[in-house]
Amino acid sequence: MSFWNQSLEIARVDLRVERRLGDTLRIVLPFAVVALMVFPLSLGIELATISRIGPAVFWALGILFGMQVALRLSAADTQERRDLHALLGVDPAARFVGRVLSGGVLMLAFLVVLFIAMVLIYGPTLPSGSWSTVLLGTVLFSIGLTELGTLAGEITAGLRNRTALASLIVAPLALPLVIGASQSLEALSRGAGILPWVLLMLATDLALAVIGVGMARPLEEATR
Amino acid sequence: MTRIRVLFGVAAAAMAVGLWFALTAPPDALQGEYSRIINVHVPSLWLAFLAFGVTALGSIMWLWKKKQRWDRLASASAEVGVLFTGIGLFTGMVWGQAVWGRAWDWGDPRLTSTAVMFFVYLGYIALRNAVDDPVVKARRSAILGVVAVVQVPLVYFSVNLFRTLHQTQSIRPDGSTMPAEMLVAMLVNVAAFTILYVALMAARTDIARIEEANRETELLAGDAVKPPKLSEVGDV
Repeated sequence: MSFWNQSLEIARVDLRVERRLGDTLRIVLPFAVVALMVFPLSLGIELATISRIGPAVFWALGILFGMQVALRLSAADTQERRDLHALLGVDPAARFVGRVLSGGVLMLAFLVVLFIAMVLIYGPTLPSGSWSTVLLGTVLFSIGLTELGTLAGEITAGLRNRTALASLIVAPLALPLVIGASQSLEALSRGAGILPWVLLMLATDLALAVIGVGMARPLEEATR
Repeated sequence: MTRIRVLFGVAAAAMAVGLWFALTAPPDALQGEYSRIINVHVPSLWLAFLAFGVTALGSIMWLWKKKQRWDRLASASAEVGVLFTGIGLFTGMVWGQAVWGRAWDWGDPRLTSTAVMFFVYLGYIALRNAVDDPVVKARRSAILGVVAVVQVPLVYFSVNLFRTLHQTQSIRPDGSTMPAEMLVAMLVNVAAFTILYVALMAARTDIARIEEANRETELLAGDAVKPPKLSEVGDV
């Protein structure tokens, strides 16, 4: 089986497991929407402020709950499953790519629904071209955050305080993604170009992909 | 131990010379005496960058050679780097309060990215504390050491990449923007802090070596007091 076929098969199985369990869309997403509602409740009837902070709250919740989505997938990846993959001769790099693919799809679905909820709840004034910019930013953000989540999930696999530790690793390292995603929308509002911010996210994604693929074998050994 | 004492002695002497240069250099026309903070702030952050670079190098070498000394180097450098990042952040905040009128500006990429770098390496230390097995600890932290260093260039070049309140680098390929006396004082302090870094690294790696030796002894003691199997006890 080729590298890409292995990756796609891993992604397909991950998504099938997620479809059966439904943790992301049935638990994490509703929780994130509730968190989205907490901010307007705490601000009171400050409609102008609520409208203005909407996109920022979206990206803040995107990273916090996105980490849960990214780490949840690695939590489902048990030692037995890893051993089975190793016995079957699955390339560790293909495992990493497959996990990023499935996680990226889930993350994208999660963020798109969260963004729609944010628009409905906060009613932000979005400049023209916002939807395509947000979609591009969300895709690049999803890929990067999933890559980080996969790496952190592997590094902290089987440790006590795993969830807190992995979050501590992912959150600061995800900052270039948050800056790129939030500033691209901000730049659009100012009438400035979004290219530098898109390039920042793209460079982060590529750097993480290179590290993830390059470190796949040591990562596999690290979990033993 | 004598080697470390000598290193700390040299570092103390170098720091005293650095202090003398810092206090005798002329103050900035606009910032006044607050400009002297640069003699601690810049060397601290220079060492933080150096320390995290050494952590990445140690991590790569451990993954390649699997020698414990590279893990000791990487972890010691990360700890010292976190210390110097903390000093750099604190001195920057003191200077910012005096000159900018506020200690922290969330809109400034250099400040926020430096704080992020601080937390990334706190995560590195937390990861090491969460693992007991030395080989697993070394392997996992080596991977994180390589991942974490990716953001270090972003921190350094953030003043060039983004619109920022923080000034750009004072020393550039085409020369310095600082008066000669202030530049000399800062460079003397950079050298003094670098010697201090070497001394701290030597001490920390020695402590790590002693900790490893103690751990091996503990394991031997644990084996010695293991209760015998019932089949070996006989009819007591």
